[in-house]
Amino acid sequence: MIAALGAKAIQDVVNAGQFGRFAWRSTVTSIRGCTRKSTYPLIWTQMFLIGVHSVPVIMITGAFVGMTLAVQAYDQLAGMGLEEHLGVLINISVVKELGPVLAAVMLAGRIGGALTAELGTMNVTEQIDAVRSMGTDPVRHLVAPRLLACLLLTPVLTIFADMMGVVGGALVSFLQFGINSRAYWMFSASAVAMWDVSIGIIKAFFFGGAIAVISCYKGFNCREGAHGVGEACTEAFVASFISILALDFALAVIFKSIYEIFWPVKSIVS
Amino acid sequence: MEKNTDGNHQERTAHGGETIIEVRNLTKKFGHKLVLDNINLSIEKGKTTVIIGPSGCGKTVLIKHFIVLQRPSEGEVYFKGRRVDNLSERELNEVRTQFGYLFQEGALFDSMTIAENIMFPIRQHMKIRDWREVDEVVKMKLAMVGLDGFQNYFPARLSGGQRKRAALARAIALNPEVLLYDEPTTGLDPIRSDIINELVLKLERELGVTTVVVTHDMKSAYKVANRIIMLHNGKVVADGNADHIRNHPHPVVQQFINGQVGEDDLAVLRMSGSAGSSQFLPRDFQ
Ligand SMILES: Nc1ncnc2c1ncn2[C@@H]1O[C@H](COP(=O)(O)OP(=O)(O)O)[C@@H](O)[C@H]1O
Ligand SMILES: [Mg+2]
Repeated sequence: MIAALGAKAIQDVVNAGQFGRFAWRSTVTSIRGCTRKSTYPLIWTQMFLIGVHSVPVIMITGAFVGMTLAVQAYDQLAGMGLEEHLGVLINISVVKELGPVLAAVMLAGRIGGALTAELGTMNVTEQIDAVRSMGTDPVRHLVAPRLLACLLLTPVLTIFADMMGVVGGALVSFLQFGINSRAYWMFSASAVAMWDVSIGIIKAFFFGGAIAVISCYKGFNCREGAHGVGEACTEAFVASFISILALDFALAVIFKSIYEIFWPVKSIVS
Repeated sequence: MEKNTDGNHQERTAHGGETIIEVRNLTKKFGHKLVLDNINLSIEKGKTTVIIGPSGCGKTVLIKHFIVLQRPSEGEVYFKGRRVDNLSERELNEVRTQFGYLFQEGALFDSMTIAENIMFPIRQHMKIRDWREVDEVVKMKLAMVGLDGFQNYFPARLSGGQRKRAALARAIALNPEVLLYDEPTTGLDPIRSDIINELVLKLERELGVTTVVVTHDMKSAYKVANRIIMLHNGKVVADGNADHIRNHPHPVVQQFINGQVGEDDLAVLRMSGSAGSSQFLPRDFQ
């Protein structure tokens, strides 16, 4: 019993180490890949596959987030006579938290699943070994383009989600609750700073990286058979989802301390 | 240190040829499962060596060690007198270009056409000045395996035998010195198997490559082999030319080449049949 538990713990540590090495190698290889012309077409293909098909889904997600926030927050703010501040609440939430996180979760399901299934199938049918047998690094050929595509695209898709969230929230506020649009935008503009938008986009960058590395890792280490591929996809999604939430928390803490360091400087300057 | 003492002396094997691949005391475990058990083996340059053995005995694992797609748990692998099993993946990439590996199911990239599959190693390792030249090379390689004209097909549209031949064309794309075949005839009908056998012989003749074939098809083994090695329970049980194997005294070898079930396996079958352990008993449902 204790031996089994110990063995499991050791296995977990070994796996974590393996994942760490894989993530490190992928990152280094991707950075090198940026300077190599031959990777560009591969990145381009992946961006096309990942990006184009994800746009509608991402936009719908964003719009509903904004709309739902408007409906939920209206009563509370109206009770205090602050309904014209509705835009502040919606737009801050969308841009800083919900836009990036929900877009990332959506992408973890959409592209994460596709990446894991594709690489997992390649692994099971020995295509990854075939890449290696021909003297090519599979991380360079398969992982780097996917990682770079995710890193570039997740922020862009997050901007789409943000935009739709802002539009959706505003539409519900104006049409359903009859809020004065001039006041709505004015309060929003004074409260939502470039800083808030940047935080959201930087977060998206990290989420994209996490999704790509985790999905590729699960694909590369997938067990034999169709069953193994399915299992790898599920595991990849769960792991990506948890990492997104954990990263979100960690980045929130980090950004808060950065903000607190620079805030006094900013108030002196202005 | 060790690398230097072992470096670059090319031995003569007992058979008198020059050694190109050598494994010493090779042991491979997956977890607690012992797959290869202290194997010592030299592959002769320019000859065709066939490795036989029942399914699951570790034939694929063994030849994957030759190009270090698998790393030994213990022991060493040498290629042209140079130790390769401890090289980094990056250093290995250069070594691997001297090998062609035909995977059991072909392992063609199914998102690429046949022509793109064959171009893949060329694009990775050669400076391309003229694309027409590459097309010519692809055409030539496909013609060698009798598939010229299939350039724009996707692997899914080819039959099993054609896929293996296309994969073979990809394996010879970089003019390798060693060709490793993993069960090239498995899953093919006798005629198509024989086409593959002829191809193995033809490529050996025309390209002068060293050939290693893994198979459990004795007909194919007798036809192409200069030397046959039999693997059983992770060990080499027989090693010699076709006649040596045919007349080998070891019962395991005789059973394998004649396609008979061994007494041990029969005993297991009889036991499970009469004891009824394969049937559901009422207690299974309680
Ligand atoms: N990556 C792996 N992980 C765990 N076990 C493996 C792995 N590859 C092969 N094996 C095991 O090693 C044994 C030999 O496999 P293999 O070399 O494929 O047999 P064959 O002689 O049929 O080619 C099998 O029992 C297989 O289950
Ligand atoms: Mg095999």
